[in-house]
Amino acid sequence: MNWYPIFLREILIFERRLLRLGYVVSALLMPLLYLLAFGLGLGRQVSIGAGTYLDYLLPGLIAMSSMINSYTWVANGLTMGRLYFHTFQVYVQAPVSPAAIVWGEVASGVVRGLFSSVILLVLGFLIGSRLSLNLMFFLALGVNCLLFAALGVVVGMRAKSHEDTANFSNFFIMPMAFFSGTFFPIAKMPWALRVMVRCLPLTHTNDLLRSPDWNGGALASLGILVAYSAVSLVLAVFLVARYSE
Amino acid sequence: MSAKAADLGEAASRPVYGMIDIDHLSKRYQDILALDEVTLEIHPGEIFGLLGPNGAGKTTLIKILTGLARPTRGHVRINGFDVVRQPLEVKKLIGVSPQEINLDKELTAYENLLIYGKLHQVPDLQARIEELLALAELTQRADHPVRDFSGGMQRRLLMVRAIMSRPRVLFLDEPTVGLDPQVRRSLWDLITQFKASGLTVLLTTHYIEEAEILCDRVGILNRGRLIALDTPEALKARTGGYTVESLRNGRRHYAFFQDREEAQRCALSEAQGVTIRRVNLEDVFLRLTGESLGGKAEA
Repeated sequence: MNWYPIFLREILIFERRLLRLGYVVSALLMPLLYLLAFGLGLGRQVSIGAGTYLDYLLPGLIAMSSMINSYTWVANGLTMGRLYFHTFQVYVQAPVSPAAIVWGEVASGVVRGLFSSVILLVLGFLIGSRLSLNLMFFLALGVNCLLFAALGVVVGMRAKSHEDTANFSNFFIMPMAFFSGTFFPIAKMPWALRVMVRCLPLTHTNDLLRSPDWNGGALASLGILVAYSAVSLVLAVFLVARYSE
Repeated sequence: MSAKAADLGEAASRPVYGMIDIDHLSKRYQDILALDEVTLEIHPGEIFGLLGPNGAGKTTLIKILTGLARPTRGHVRINGFDVVRQPLEVKKLIGVSPQEINLDKELTAYENLLIYGKLHQVPDLQARIEELLALAELTQRADHPVRDFSGGMQRRLLMVRAIMSRPRVLFLDEPTVGLDPQVRRSLWDLITQFKASGLTVLLTTHYIEEAEILCDRVGILNRGRLIALDTPEALKARTGGYTVESLRNGRRHYAFFQDREEAQRCALSEAQGVTIRRVNLEDVFLRLTGESLGGKAEA
């Protein structure tokens, strides 16, 4: 499966933009703001469970930031490439399979998501947060990036304009960032809302990043994330395969 | 015996394909019939020009031939492979230079060719990239971002990228649109070189001169229908030898004549703004449709 050229292109473009002054700041501004405002401001007066609020908040922000970065870049890149720059057409006219196109895009989304996560991790440690990092933590983080990058392909293939991707982000991605236990535990939510929130993938990522154990609950959460990813990937390949202008 | 007979029978009944075979092809977009029962065969090694006004269906046809759009009805084969059922086989044979310059502007000329080469799994990629950069006269600019290039340079890069995988068929959709005459001529030279190497070229244009200079045969598309198909000379000969163009009440009028004397007689009867010239492909279109390639006129 010849996915590497697609990945390479995305990464070269990513690298060019990283070198541009202000890019890193703008891509990571929101999670950083949350980290500073909630972690250092509000967080000083709040404690959740045994640890400090910062310890609670950091995994949530990593989950959120990895989600937003994986999703946004892929969805925007595909929408713009398909509708405005016509660079997506180069892939379609090349002898590569739809699965290769999807995998190349998704892999580049995963790299972007992990990149933002690593920056937050480093920052978090610098301001004194403690996290238990183990294989499960990184596995959950990786699957989270994969899932939202694949969802980015789905939205990027369906969007009829740049606004469509922003709308999906406003109505789905952002509410999920707030209600999936990023800033406060879902245990205190009303029963009905809690059931809904349990269905959202990001809730499971948050659980896994906070307690990356190898118990039944964690494995179930990981299973749910993998299932969501598989469905998104299949849907993405289907949409690329039946692409027609 | 029976097996041999069956083999022979199959070989005998298998149709002989051109390089591109378009068979009763239609494409509908909601209420608009973009292509209407187009049937056309393009021979190996020819430069075939598709001529027509904006919206005639030229780009739609190229999109279907290159796997970007699915036909509503009909079939297309490239070198015997069906574009819908054998897309990967078809895509190994083709190169495309689209109407929009779809290079990655943030990346360098070299990187653009590198990614394309890897997508098409081009052997000896480094050597091929250097060869193509030289052909496009961009060797010195290889490591500059494409966004800094002039329109002509971007077009040249786009065109050499299209031949990178040594395709059998090259699609050039409006290859010189928006370029000044000098740059246009340099691109024509490039296209002529492609033909010399045995490539089959399908070119769309609405520049008459481009079609007349480059194309072995021309097909004229109007509102999705193929309304004429022949060599430029034959199409012109059928329209007449001379055109008398005149101005009446602020509108252009055209009349076509086989011989010059007849044309001159007609010209003398016109009051103002009269010119006599040789028939060109624009006149062919005008005669067939009553419209000029750029808009309305009266024939």
